[in-house]
Amino acid sequence: MRHKLWLVMMLLLFLPAAPAQQLREQIRKYTLDNGLRVLMVPDKTAPVIHFNLMFDVGGVDEAPGLGGIAHMVEHMAFKGTPSIGSLDWPREKAALEAVDRARAELDQAIARGASQEEIQRLTAAFNQAREEAKKLALPNPIDQLFTNNGEQGLNASTGYDRTDYRVSVPSNRLELYLRVYADVMMNAVFRSFYEEVDVVLEERRQRNENDPNGALSEVFLRAAFQVHPYGRPLIGSREEIQGYRVDKALAFWRTHYHPNRAVLVLVGDVEPERDIQLVRRYMGAVPRGPERPSLNIPSEPPQTAERRVTLEYNAQPSLRIGFHKPTYPSREAYVMDVIDAILTEGRTSRLFRRLVIQEQAALNVSSSSASPGFRYPNLFVISAQPRAPRTTQDLERLIYEELERLKNEPVTPQELTRVRNQTRAAYLRVLQGGPGLAQTLAFYELFFGGYQRIFEEEAIYNTITAEEIQQVARKYFTEQNRTVATLVTKGGSR
Amino acid sequence: MKAIWSLLGAALLPLALAQGVPSDWPDPFKMQFPRLQPAVIQPTRVQLSNGLTVLLVEDRSLPFVSGRIYLQAGSIYEPDDKVGLSGLFASVMRTGGAGERDPGAVDEILETLAASVSVSSDTLFTSVAFNTLSENLDQVLEIWADVLIRPRFAQERLELEKGRALEAIRRRNDQPTQIAVREFLRRIQEGHPAGRVSSAASVGSITREDLLAFHQRFFKPNRAVLAISGDFNTQEMVARLERVLRDWRPGEVSLPSFAPPSPKPAIYFVQKETNQSVIYMGNPTVTAFAPGYSELDLASRVLGDGFNSRLFLEVRTKRGLAYATGGAQTQGFGWPGFFYGASISRVDKTVEVIELMLGQFRDLRERPVSPEELELFRNNILNAEVFRFTSKQAVAERIARTQMLGLPADYYERYIQQIQAATPADLQRVMQQFVRPEEFVIVVVGDQRQFDKPLSSLGRVVEVPLE
Repeated sequence: MRHKLWLVMMLLLFLPAAPAQQLREQIRKYTLDNGLRVLMVPDKTAPVIHFNLMFDVGGVDEAPGLGGIAHMVEHMAFKGTPSIGSLDWPREKAALEAVDRARAELDQAIARGASQEEIQRLTAAFNQAREEAKKLALPNPIDQLFTNNGEQGLNASTGYDRTDYRVSVPSNRLELYLRVYADVMMNAVFRSFYEEVDVVLEERRQRNENDPNGALSEVFLRAAFQVHPYGRPLIGSREEIQGYRVDKALAFWRTHYHPNRAVLVLVGDVEPERDIQLVRRYMGAVPRGPERPSLNIPSEPPQTAERRVTLEYNAQPSLRIGFHKPTYPSREAYVMDVIDAILTEGRTSRLFRRLVIQEQAALNVSSSSASPGFRYPNLFVISAQPRAPRTTQDLERLIYEELERLKNEPVTPQELTRVRNQTRAAYLRVLQGGPGLAQTLAFYELFFGGYQRIFEEEAIYNTITAEEIQQVARKYFTEQNRTVATLVTKGGSR
Repeated sequence: MKAIWSLLGAALLPLALAQGVPSDWPDPFKMQFPRLQPAVIQPTRVQLSNGLTVLLVEDRSLPFVSGRIYLQAGSIYEPDDKVGLSGLFASVMRTGGAGERDPGAVDEILETLAASVSVSSDTLFTSVAFNTLSENLDQVLEIWADVLIRPRFAQERLELEKGRALEAIRRRNDQPTQIAVREFLRRIQEGHPAGRVSSAASVGSITREDLLAFHQRFFKPNRAVLAISGDFNTQEMVARLERVLRDWRPGEVSLPSFAPPSPKPAIYFVQKETNQSVIYMGNPTVTAFAPGYSELDLASRVLGDGFNSRLFLEVRTKRGLAYATGGAQTQGFGWPGFFYGASISRVDKTVEVIELMLGQFRDLRERPVSPEELELFRNNILNAEVFRFTSKQAVAERIARTQMLGLPADYYERYIQQIQAATPADLQRVMQQFVRPEEFVIVVVGDQRQFDKPLSSLGRVVEVPLE
């Protein structure tokens, strides 16, 4: 058995670098005059293009009290522009202004404690104004255009550090894509804003309130980050969402979503030298905006004592443990990635083997080495669900034992080899293309000083040693650096 | 195809092109593009000497090989008192050791090679897949064949996976959506094995002998199809497969047949303290690609597919009553699929939302859809056809399933022809023929103390207790 394994390792050391090299040579990068970076990756498998438009804007960029506004404007960017969705722009514009006035009058009345009757009257006027505005527009015009043209995966997501817009279309729709998104970047109209506020409230209920994992995440992050915005719920609090107003949302949009803060990636049936002309024609028309404002995002002070929180909830118990740690490009962040794989990647990983297989104490265990974002110092997080009658206390004890072992003994050469092989294979799989490759390239280009970084990371992982792992484990897996959140069954066990 | 865009064009014409964009930019609603034809991927079909059908597609672009074999061994064939068997079978088949290797050795070598062998099951099939760097193909193929033909089902791993399955059962009432989906699938497929739900007792009673018997009964090469793609030479691969599968002997498999589901229309209500209600409603219709299916598929897209479907527009966009809402005609193979809608919406508007949803189904029966709506979803299907060919492995797997299901080879071309020919009257006809809101199974999970009206105002309510 051992012999065979060593043979295998020898073979892997000589894996061809050709596929990565090929891909690397095929990627074309252009920078438009307005600062937009465009990456194109030709892949002729099928006549389709996967688009990813990523901005370096997310939850951390929100002002206090406007929590979740980045996510809200992500929704609003699907509502169209004057030339996409309006049935009569001058009239619709006036109608939208009337909605804003009605909302302001209502807000003022509530603020000064106006009579119930007056508030009812103003609410009715506000609702009436919304109905008038809705008559003058198509409800979801961007979706309509892409649906009609055979889209797949039209979607967007907002993180703490970034926002990205994704869609895949037949390759001859390149110009349609550019026409739509260049217009959205210049002229987004936040129509049906207050209806969308209600939608986001439902999204919050669904993801953060009625889902035990979402609910536990919220209390966990709030405890782990007392100052840094990673401690705020990405979707915002209920009060914050109810307080959204069009002017504040538009101001956020106009402050941040500019071509010089974005990367556009096209993967698929493209011919870079030809297609960049069309990209320039449309995306090049979008004016450059201000650079990222200095936001004075407060850094999280070093943690000085263990923090423990419990959430009583109508669900079975679960456990989340986080340790503060540095982020990329710190070498320690890469070491943490290796530790992540050693602890929970696969059935032979340390925590899975110990908690799930040997002790039969957990249904499952998982970890993440860069949570909940990556731009600022973040957390190494371990999550586990106990198997009754075992408890979260049992799991904590077992996890700490394994973390101590990581500090006290070097990991084995076999473990390191396994992680290196998995890293290499995972990296080659990303190169298979599709929407995943588009997103990965956008991410590296925007945050890691250029997409080329993808091709350099493997070398970093390959030089990480057993000693470094021990050092990093000792430095960060300490009691005082720890936040523990436990979901306790309402009226029951933990 | 032109109706909607000329109509919208007329509305937009006086003001288009001057709203914050250069005047020479086209109106996106008037941009016309030809429908692209996919570059069809045709796998090579080979029959091995033991009767196994293999579909192969070479793809030398990256150093990987993937494969998946399908066997007619789904959950509908589990005995009534052993519901949960196929799921447990799949996990212990992969994790219980294989051939000469004990469970730990299989995991160790696969994870060191950064390869995977996985077993999964659904109502109809169990499938055994692998993915590996091509350098390690021989070793991984050998392990895959061991898992497929010579699983050991180690007793201690069966106990482990049973324990985990019981814990999952203990946790299955944690999320309201999970409760609603389970209850809806159970009620709408009542009377058919697909409508059964596992219990602590059914899982607890499963033995190693049950797993061996399941394997013995269904795993025959002449009743399986293997789809394989990646970095290999086809002839060499066939020789490899002959070698690693040489001990696998063909045999008879007799599959029982089942009466179709016979759901009992009612409002099935599950009390759960939450501030949203999860609502599912629908009835069984036709099997996939049977007469009426294509038109029901289109009608269901008008009802619930995406931002411009009626449920989305009425429940979400116009009223802000839900974040998640939609519907579909499901693909039923062997027994009818169902036509359904769902919403996760405000608890204090539960009955209002149910009525709003029912109204959308009724409207599709009472009036023809607009030509614009029909064109939108027809174009979506036609233009998205190119995405059926973005992955060689996915194409090979689709053809494998097509064969296992006994669908005609040209089923998709026929479907496309029907999509092209469908009229608003056709959609109304199938809605009237197959979708009957007064006979719906409706599942509601929510907190009835906060409902706007009692559910009984809508019809007969059956309270379903949570175990």
